[in-house]
Amino acid sequence: MLRIDDLHVTYGGTRAVAGVTLTVDQGQTVLLIGANGAGKSSLINAVIGLAKISQGKIMFDGHDIGSMSSDARARLGIGYSPEGRRVFASMTVKDNVLAGAVTLNGREQVRSWDKLVASFPFLAERQAQAAGELSGGQQQLVAIARAMSGRPKLLLLDEPFLGLAPVWIQQISIAVRQMQQDGITVLMTEQMARPALKLAHSGHIMRGGLIRRSGAVHEIKGAALAEEYL
Amino acid sequence: MSSHDLKPLPAETRSSLLSGHDWIALVFVAMTFLIPVFSTNPQVLSQTNLILIAATAALGVYIMQRLDLMSFAVPSFMAIGGYTVALISMKLHVTDVLILAAAAFLMPALCAIPLGSLILRLKGVYFVLVTFVLTEIVQLLLFEAGPITGGANGLVGMPAVKLFGFELWDNPHVLLTTCGLAVLSFAITSLFTRTFRHEFAAIETNDVLAESLGLAAWKYKAMAFSIAAGVSGLAGFALVNMLMTAHPSSFAPMSSVNYITYTIVGGKASILGTLIGALLLVSATDYFALSGEMSPGLFGLLIIIVTLVARGGVVGVVSGLLYRLVGKTTPLNTGETGHAAQEHANQKEGRP
Ligand SMILES: Nc1ncnc2c1ncn2[C@@H]1O[C@H](COP(=O)(O)OP(=O)(O)OP(=O)(O)O)[C@@H](O)[C@H]1O
Ligand SMILES: [Mg+2]
Repeated sequence: MLRIDDLHVTYGGTRAVAGVTLTVDQGQTVLLIGANGAGKSSLINAVIGLAKISQGKIMFDGHDIGSMSSDARARLGIGYSPEGRRVFASMTVKDNVLAGAVTLNGREQVRSWDKLVASFPFLAERQAQAAGELSGGQQQLVAIARAMSGRPKLLLLDEPFLGLAPVWIQQISIAVRQMQQDGITVLMTEQMARPALKLAHSGHIMRGGLIRRSGAVHEIKGAALAEEYL
Repeated sequence: MSSHDLKPLPAETRSSLLSGHDWIALVFVAMTFLIPVFSTNPQVLSQTNLILIAATAALGVYIMQRLDLMSFAVPSFMAIGGYTVALISMKLHVTDVLILAAAAFLMPALCAIPLGSLILRLKGVYFVLVTFVLTEIVQLLLFEAGPITGGANGLVGMPAVKLFGFELWDNPHVLLTTCGLAVLSFAITSLFTRTFRHEFAAIETNDVLAESLGLAAWKYKAMAFSIAAGVSGLAGFALVNMLMTAHPSSFAPMSSVNYITYTIVGGKASILGTLIGALLLVSATDYFALSGEMSPGLFGLLIIIVTLVARGGVVGVVSGLLYRLVGKTTPLNTGETGHAAQEHANQKEGRP
């Protein structure tokens, strides 16, 4: 589904990603773990097209997407939830969520909305409220629902649990499981390894722009939890 | 916030053709058709004419503001529309108002497509600068392309326009023509901004984020630039028709400051703001007999004051007051976007 080959991302002089190769197979959930500045967001941003790649190749669903505009990548079926609760503050909750579903027609949007509401009843309760008025955790949920609303084939979640209370982590985990049941591929980043490891099939530990260890969840669990305290 | 504060979104508001402010503005503009019935005072007629032309021209600024772009390009496209009409009526002897209106809209709208593809790559202040330079270039072309544009003399002696063969030549009829063009422009602008309101709101807030969700921001920007150019062209038609002359001085680069001021001072979040801004400021200019050279400076000052003190402009302040007094209508249902809606939302929550 997603194949990243020798990916480099540099900002001016900083090498954020320095040669990463990884694949995410159809229906799999892959976790990127690493401390601050490891290059996780840079990698995710390179996939959606918000960070320019300086070297390497990104293949998605048979397309070489490395030089496509980010809206074209999104329309190919990549859903993206950015780090740090980026909602459209003045738009309503419902409009925020449906902003992720621009590729769907009216009836599909309704169905997509109904499905998300079934997982997150909170969205229906607050649908007409401006998203900027929500709490941080609620905004995070809106951003994730927005990424899911376009029925992506690949879902990119950049630190979905950052700063969230256990109840919210659980809600989001349930939604991710549901996406997995629908056969959707997920690539997510997390510093807090524990709840994320419960969702993933396999993971990669990143440090200094490189993958240091890879493997199935049970293989890397110990190292991942150690990384959390680095 | 407890659960009984929730505001369910009424189904009819969501699917309605135009927002409340759109309707009010449209009805208000349409009512000017009645002015020639009640008054033959040339002063009243010419003042109404000027206000309607100013409001129509400022719609070009309003449309680009939906995407958080500040455009100085309005006079350029007014000139293209105005000169197109003058040339068609004088050289080709076509005076049917419907054909001329179509030409006044389409010509600038088409010119805007290649221009937009160059200019819209620029962000923020660079876009602003280049749109201003564009007005200077158009001025230069109007002066230099003498054989076509009449150079410094302009194109003088346009024939009166006709509607179904009926000549619209005297003052009241010239006003009726302007009214018709204004209603058309307000209707086009309302429908356009209403249709794409979600896309525009997302791009206005954060165009990079909007793109990462699959919205092709450049496409919407190009579309808006083209429609804004077309509407400006209709204003150019109205102006040229009123003066019976197409002259470079009607499309002076500094006049773009006026159109921006109308929209910002009136309230850029709603189309009503553009109309009220034009009404108030054109009347004030006339009342205080402001000279042509003074007004850009004063208007610049006004923009600074409004930006610092009341970002919602006149409409934002008034509807904020009404909202506090009545406290019933939900701000998000009035079709407002951006800052005004946010300000209301904050007031509701009791935040600063
Ligand atoms: N826009 C940018 N401009 C310049 N440098 C950047 C930019 N974004 C990231 N960097 C640098 O790239 C490196 C990797 O950053 P990145 O955001 O990818 O890390 P991360 O693993 O997501 O960290 P965190 O867990 O804190 O989100 C850091 O050294 C950072 O300073
Ligand atoms: Mg990060």
